[in-house]
Amino acid sequence: MSRGRLMARTVFVLMAVWSLGTAPARAQDAPVRGGTVVAAIVSDPGHLNPAITTSGATHAASELLYNGLLGRDERGEPVPELAESWQIEQGGTVYRFRLRDGVRWHDGTPFTAADVKFTFEEVLVKYHARTRASMGAVLAGIEAPDDRTVVFRFKQPYAPLLYQLDATEAPIVARHVYQGTDPQTNPANGNPIGTGPFKLVSYTKGTEIRLVRNPTYFKAGLPHLDGLVMRIIPDLAVQVLALENGEVDFLWELPGPQQARLKGDPRFRAARTGYHPGGSNCIMTMSFNLDRPILKDLRVRQAVAHALDRQAFLTQILFGDGKVAAAPISSEIPWAHAAGLALPRPDRAEAEKLLDGAGWKKEGEGPRTARGVPGVADGTRLSIEFLHFPTFTKYGELVRQQLGAVGIGVVLKPLEPAVFAPTVFKDRNFDSNVISYCNGPDPEIGVRRMYHSSQIGPAPFTNAAAYRNARVDALFDEASRTVERDKRTRLYRQIQELVVQELPYFWLVETVSTRAWAARCAGFKAWTGHFAEEAFCRR
Amino acid sequence: MPSRYLLRRLAQVLPTVAGLLVLNFCIVHLAPGDPVIALGGEHGDAAYYAFLRARFALDRPLPEQLLTYVTNVLRGDLGTSFVHGRSVAGVIAERLPATILLVATALVLSSLAGLGLGTLAARHGRRPADLALNAAALLGYATPSFWLGQMALLTVAVGTGLFPVQGMTDARHPQTGLAHVLDVAHHLALPALVLAVNELALTTRLVRTGLLEALGADYVRTARAKGLPEGRVIRHALRNVMLPVLTVIGSRAGMFLSGAVLVEVVFAWPGLGRLLLSSLLARDYPVLLGMFLLISFAVVLANLITDLAYARLDPRIRYQ
Repeated sequence: MSRGRLMARTVFVLMAVWSLGTAPARAQDAPVRGGTVVAAIVSDPGHLNPAITTSGATHAASELLYNGLLGRDERGEPVPELAESWQIEQGGTVYRFRLRDGVRWHDGTPFTAADVKFTFEEVLVKYHARTRASMGAVLAGIEAPDDRTVVFRFKQPYAPLLYQLDATEAPIVARHVYQGTDPQTNPANGNPIGTGPFKLVSYTKGTEIRLVRNPTYFKAGLPHLDGLVMRIIPDLAVQVLALENGEVDFLWELPGPQQARLKGDPRFRAARTGYHPGGSNCIMTMSFNLDRPILKDLRVRQAVAHALDRQAFLTQILFGDGKVAAAPISSEIPWAHAAGLALPRPDRAEAEKLLDGAGWKKEGEGPRTARGVPGVADGTRLSIEFLHFPTFTKYGELVRQQLGAVGIGVVLKPLEPAVFAPTVFKDRNFDSNVISYCNGPDPEIGVRRMYHSSQIGPAPFTNAAAYRNARVDALFDEASRTVERDKRTRLYRQIQELVVQELPYFWLVETVSTRAWAARCAGFKAWTGHFAEEAFCRR
Repeated sequence: MPSRYLLRRLAQVLPTVAGLLVLNFCIVHLAPGDPVIALGGEHGDAAYYAFLRARFALDRPLPEQLLTYVTNVLRGDLGTSFVHGRSVAGVIAERLPATILLVATALVLSSLAGLGLGTLAARHGRRPADLALNAAALLGYATPSFWLGQMALLTVAVGTGLFPVQGMTDARHPQTGLAHVLDVAHHLALPALVLAVNELALTTRLVRTGLLEALGADYVRTARAKGLPEGRVIRHALRNVMLPVLTVIGSRAGMFLSGAVLVEVVFAWPGLGRLLLSSLLARDYPVLLGMFLLISFAVVLANLITDLAYARLDPRIRYQ
């Protein structure tokens, strides 16, 4: 790494960690060995096998027990982990990985290429939803020619692989533990054997998971901590109180309102990140059901977009914790995010003009009335349903208030997730909704499913708008087969320009997570599930 | 008490619980919502959800699922949790002790204190002390427990630093033996008190009203005329007041298993209430049904015990 890049990276990290206190963040001392960190997690994971689920609860609690072939740095770029080097061959159809020497499982068994082959073939592409959906259909085979070499062969060039090999997307589990068993009910899910920086001591259901340092971890000198306790505290506000009371040292999520409360308190530090073990790089997105006559008309969708003041969503709902979405792809994936797009700006007059032009006329008070709108009986009042999770009520209220101002009536329908998903994606019984669409580490994983015409129902959180555009389909297909980064960047830019013109969705705000921790501790990596691998605390 | 009566009552328990089992099954499965979506996360493809559905036999016709479930329950098998991947009986059993500890402590606290405060209020009938207690009881009854819990956390736990904010044990310093018992008691104090306040108010009001009525009765006048000390008189009267109080406490005992959910969430108490809530959100049908079965049993049993206790307290009641 050149000196300039090193400096740039240092500045980046310093900016990413901000002090909650008024005192400037003191440069941390050299890492201290020993001590135990107590981290708060929101829900009981149920089990500790991250390879069979994408559940955020399980991943937050278990990733430190495991490793991926690769890790990720603070910009989401792949770095060596169980694999020390890799080569891309035959234009992206073959990936060859050289594994690290001398890695052992927590029970002492040597880790080999056979573990990797077994994990992908028998566990990940069967049970891990994201890996299965993205890689399953194009993976031709995995070979382990010797103990330290793994070769992935794909049916066609496969671009995103290096971004889906960390412990969140593809944790490697032990073949000798899982072979010949049912991975979903294997007792080892509660008593895991991994390669990660920490080993399990105990898992007390509903209470905590206690981990201890893995003394033979393959990264020399790590971890610094003797132990780590994951405390299950379901209420985020109570987590903050526990941090203040000194019962907990690390929070995954410091909610916006509480940030204001802790501001000025030198006892705490915080850092923002788009990464979340349950789904990274998320954009709160309004979907329009393009099958509905009212929303089929581009002018109505444009009017909605002009009527919405997205800055208000950021300040009033997120308390500034995030940013107004500037493009359909998250800015947390910088190489795919198209900067400088012209998204509709808040402009009430323009919205009113568009609605008039679409045949929705202002007649007295309240919602507008249809006068010659195709597919809609004359005299019908302009009213759309807006479906949302109960946790997103504030989004609904702002949408109703802002659209009401230009004469669009909004009927809010709060539905809990288990009901929301089948209503929207299977029954398609909605006009509009808000969804936290998580882009994931690569657009192929979390963005394609929103726009590709093959992704229209019934699987949840796919193409809610029922958007169909052959050109966009072709561009996505080409991007998934294109390994060169520059070419992919151009393809995703073309896609984003097209969908911004057609507005099947409107991208409201990018949400981020704020991690917080006691100022006596440092070294937390907010951008990965291995958050405590390098952490330490002064006593 | 004739054992014939006991046998007859016990014989009624089984059909009641069996009926509830079927009813619960239908309600849980007919309610909207899809467990494989909660389980599969949001990035799966259609094949993945179909795979999960088949795996948990959710693709079978509902009557067939019901038959399988009832057969399994009769064999003592409550099934395997979708989320935890382990036996439902095990998942519930792990959480049961924490809830019983919390609920029993709160119930004992509220019953004893309610009896005392209710008596105190009745003896000061319609004077300032009574009115103050009455107002306090109404306030306690009307205060939602989660709000009271949050206030207790802010003022008592964080404010004074005397009590921990969350959990059942100290995460930093795990204890054993007597130190462990004390640690748990330290963590139990606030949630048990908060949970007790609601119940306390109800018991206080019941005892007060009943006692005021009883103290005006002829037998009390007779007792006083005989020159019995006031304490003995109150004890006589209390015995008659206990029947409605016991009915209420008994009916709460069953409800308590599910009713502690708000307090458990606020104090991060590792009990059944939280398990019930998370299982509901994840549509973890086997765990939900297992818990409903447990709650049904608890309610039916608590009713039975209350009935039996009547006979001990009131010699006028005879069971045939």
